[in-house]
Amino acid sequence: MQAAASIVVLASLYALLGVGYVLVYRASRVLNLAQGDLMMFGGYALFAAATTIAAGPAVAIPLALVASGVVGFLLYALLMRRMAGHPVFAAVLVTVSVGILVRVAVVLAFTDQIRYPLPALALANPPLRLGAGVAVSTIDALTVLAATLVVATLLLFLRRSRIGMQMRAAGERPLLAAQRGIDFQRLFAVSWALASFTAGLAGMLYGSNVRLEPGLGVLGLKAFAVALVGGLDSLGGVVPAALLVAAVEVLTVRYGDPLFAEVSPFLCLLAMLLLRPWGLAGTREELERV
Amino acid sequence: MTRRMFPGLLILGLALGPLGPAQAADPYRIGLSAAITGPAAAVYAPTFDAYKAYFKRVNDAGGVNGHPVVILAEDDRGEPSRAAANAKKFSEGVIAVVVASISPTYKPFMTEAEVGKVPLIFGGGVCPREAFPPAQPLIFCSTSFGAQWDSRFAVPFIKQQAGGKKIKVGFAAQNIPISQSEMEYAEKLAREQGLETIPVVVVPGGTADFTPFASRLKDAGADWILSWAPWPLEIGIFEALSRIGWTGQYLLYAHQQAQSDLTRLKTPNLLAFGGNALFTENLPIHRQITEAVRGVTSHSPDFMAEGWVSAMVLEAGLKKCGWPCDKDRLAQALTTVSVDTLGLRGGPIEWTADNHYRKVTFYKVSRWDAGRGAIVSVGDWTRLEVK
Amino acid sequence: MSWGSGAFRTSYERDMALVDTPLRWTALVLLAAVLVALPAVASRLVLELLSQVALAAVGALALNLLTGMAGQISLGHAGFMAAGAFSVGMLVEAIAAPPWVTLPAAALVGAGLGLAVGMPSLRLRGLYLALGTLAMHYVILWIGTEYQARYGFNTGVTVPPLALGPLLVRTTRQWYYALLAIAAVATFLCVNLTRSRVGRAWMALRDREIAAASLGIAVARYKLMAFVASAVMTSLAGAVWAYQRSFVSAEAFGFNVTIEYLAMVIIGGLGSVLGALIGAAFVTLLPYAIDGVVAALPVGDGAQYYLFPLKFGSFGLLMALFLVFEPRGLVGLWERARNWILLWPLRHRPLAPAR
Repeated sequence: MQAAASIVVLASLYALLGVGYVLVYRASRVLNLAQGDLMMFGGYALFAAATTIAAGPAVAIPLALVASGVVGFLLYALLMRRMAGHPVFAAVLVTVSVGILVRVAVVLAFTDQIRYPLPALALANPPLRLGAGVAVSTIDALTVLAATLVVATLLLFLRRSRIGMQMRAAGERPLLAAQRGIDFQRLFAVSWALASFTAGLAGMLYGSNVRLEPGLGVLGLKAFAVALVGGLDSLGGVVPAALLVAAVEVLTVRYGDPLFAEVSPFLCLLAMLLLRPWGLAGTREELERV
Repeated sequence: MTRRMFPGLLILGLALGPLGPAQAADPYRIGLSAAITGPAAAVYAPTFDAYKAYFKRVNDAGGVNGHPVVILAEDDRGEPSRAAANAKKFSEGVIAVVVASISPTYKPFMTEAEVGKVPLIFGGGVCPREAFPPAQPLIFCSTSFGAQWDSRFAVPFIKQQAGGKKIKVGFAAQNIPISQSEMEYAEKLAREQGLETIPVVVVPGGTADFTPFASRLKDAGADWILSWAPWPLEIGIFEALSRIGWTGQYLLYAHQQAQSDLTRLKTPNLLAFGGNALFTENLPIHRQITEAVRGVTSHSPDFMAEGWVSAMVLEAGLKKCGWPCDKDRLAQALTTVSVDTLGLRGGPIEWTADNHYRKVTFYKVSRWDAGRGAIVSVGDWTRLEVK
Repeated sequence: MSWGSGAFRTSYERDMALVDTPLRWTALVLLAAVLVALPAVASRLVLELLSQVALAAVGALALNLLTGMAGQISLGHAGFMAAGAFSVGMLVEAIAAPPWVTLPAAALVGAGLGLAVGMPSLRLRGLYLALGTLAMHYVILWIGTEYQARYGFNTGVTVPPLALGPLLVRTTRQWYYALLAIAAVATFLCVNLTRSRVGRAWMALRDREIAAASLGIAVARYKLMAFVASAVMTSLAGAVWAYQRSFVSAEAFGFNVTIEYLAMVIIGGLGSVLGALIGAAFVTLLPYAIDGVVAALPVGDGAQYYLFPLKFGSFGLLMALFLVFEPRGLVGLWERARNWILLWPLRHRPLAPAR
């Protein structure tokens, strides 16, 4: 039973990161390999807000969330926008270097030391006993809540809101959408801001629950497997994919060889590439095939 | 300052520049390669700072045997290729090389040390096999922790704490060879001493969520858990165990972060054993270090212990070596040093011809005392003869 | 081009020649002479760095073959290197195999992995493929880590010096010559490929796959070939790495190694052999160059502390800047500068050279 709880918690974290990949990919067909580093940035933003301006949680958390979103917007406006028209993989490599730059900025500002935002915010993270010997931490529970809210809101946003509909239109038929006068620049900027916002949220939750260190970004690569398993262009696919990848990972730790767990997301990814490259819920036509 | 003054000042500066701080005598030149950046920097960058602060103090006080000590520091990022380049860079003109980095960088230095016959001092990183008796002539290690000896202290300690009660002991290792084999050794020791054990849980270093590993240990019914691994993993497993409501006793090796994390977590069931006295003991030497590193480092003073001890041993070696000192004489001198650690460790560090680890190693256990609101030690120093 | 004026291509052999003008011949011979004579004057650090450049050049050429020429993206370059290095380590450990066993074995492992990663490329394109290679990287590293952990090696698997018959490569100088020779052979092979049927097929694939297919190029076969060739070369580079460093450790082949190699081919100039060489030298030497600059400048210890992370950051920045502003890399910059000088003051671009 504890395993089931672990799966849901881990899946929530992966889902929060996974939606970021999907948002950016849908908008610009670019894989944002800096997603993990943006997540780390969000965690450090919270830490910085708590320590440098000695803000309470009520101020620090919204501030860090806004900062996370703004970073995504700036990245797009200053850098990624210029990559339009370049080959897609060049843009992907730019995101790799963005990841490096974010990491270096964090090291310069906070050194390599491990940081803990929670004590700085004067908050505690007591375990919640759910009965039947199952316990999760308070922030674990918050992570699940946050992931549910974010995914639900995003789905609703894409379906109902004007920008959301424009995003879908741009994703499906870019040419037609452009001819209808949809402002692509704005859509892309919104996608990037949203992606880095969700990544930052994940980073704040993870950082508060476990720890902050500049190398945290590697988590992003695991979550990337989630985005692909779900289908790179499918927001709805992220949820079952996150559950699947997390389940494989947690169950190998519990009942198999724990060392195997580290590669299990990548094995899921490889298996998916071979069987169903477009993912659980992705669009088949999306694939560039020979 | 007027604009006209500027050229004048510039000329003055240029004229005085080469003089700088009076370099009256030839220096002792020492190479230091550390993981100053990169994934392992949190552990090894402080050693670099400690060296800077230590030898600044030594040089300000007139140097060693009247000669200043110059530390040529290079960053190896914990990468073997950079370590190899650093090793070659040091191959000319230094009389000893100090390494404070992760074990994959060791081999290039060892190869180069053998070629150039330069003594190699490991300080802060895990001690290589070659430093333990029977030691290789050029390999020395001052790091507080050492494979096998640490478990020989930890396992009997757990047994003694249990006080005859029947307990089950779990072990958490990281998937690096040194940690994994150490925990397997500890498990063997525990079984030999009649304790019930749970097979070692090996955890990959890049793990996001330690909870599944923690619940594996919890479900197996561990009353005590011993962990000997890099700090993020040791403490990560403990925190995951707390999150899922485990209440047993957790014993881990007290790396440099121990003091800050014991204070942060404030839990009575976290015990840290180690060879360095925590700065909460506030000995005169601790106050001296705190004073010396102020403004030199962004790390807190309690991260300096490993680097400081390593620098102490080096200084003692240089003192013995006298002047002029070359690498052969220094290697010779190092085999006879006996360094008073002034309370940073439980006793002196003594090296002999075939023991480059230390003749006697000391351990102390610390934990948080909620009643006193401070870190307290559980018993005094325990000594183990290294043979 | 104009530098070659007076030297005209009067036959097809001339047109296909690898080195076509007297000036280029002179430059090449001079370069070779300098490199061969260098150990007489250079310090061991310089030789070590140049050895690293030579080895990096082999890796960069291999990546350039796949990504630059054939247009297939790989994020698993470090994984292939690790595979080669671990083949050597495991064989040495298990049966004390000599280099004439381990090197072919490493090549074979590379070929196998190249096939395995290349297979999905028959169905997939672009980014999806890159992901497969990334996953492969983690799987290979995991196998390496497992092996290392199982056998309890403290500082990695130890490898004896490279001994091919009576030829023993051990000292810095010997390694310098050995790696120089290896890099020269690799360069020759790659340059030669650009004018062969295979090379041209790869470039056609890269530029437009459908057009290439309709010209009768067997897309699947050539793609697989690109993967296998690149993986074999990379794996051999990894094997040589193991011998040069005399140990193998999974920690030495992290994802950042892949990024460094990508930086090499991008900063150097994607698709250009010269670019891969320049890129390898640039990326390998950059940190040391920054060291030199810092040592020459009067900066305090405090500033020096920040320079270490900045050194790492400079890769990221350069990579981004080149990708955004000069996708043709250093080679592109060099060609532009050269044309500017050649054509000054009458700026008209010459017709593109016939290659």
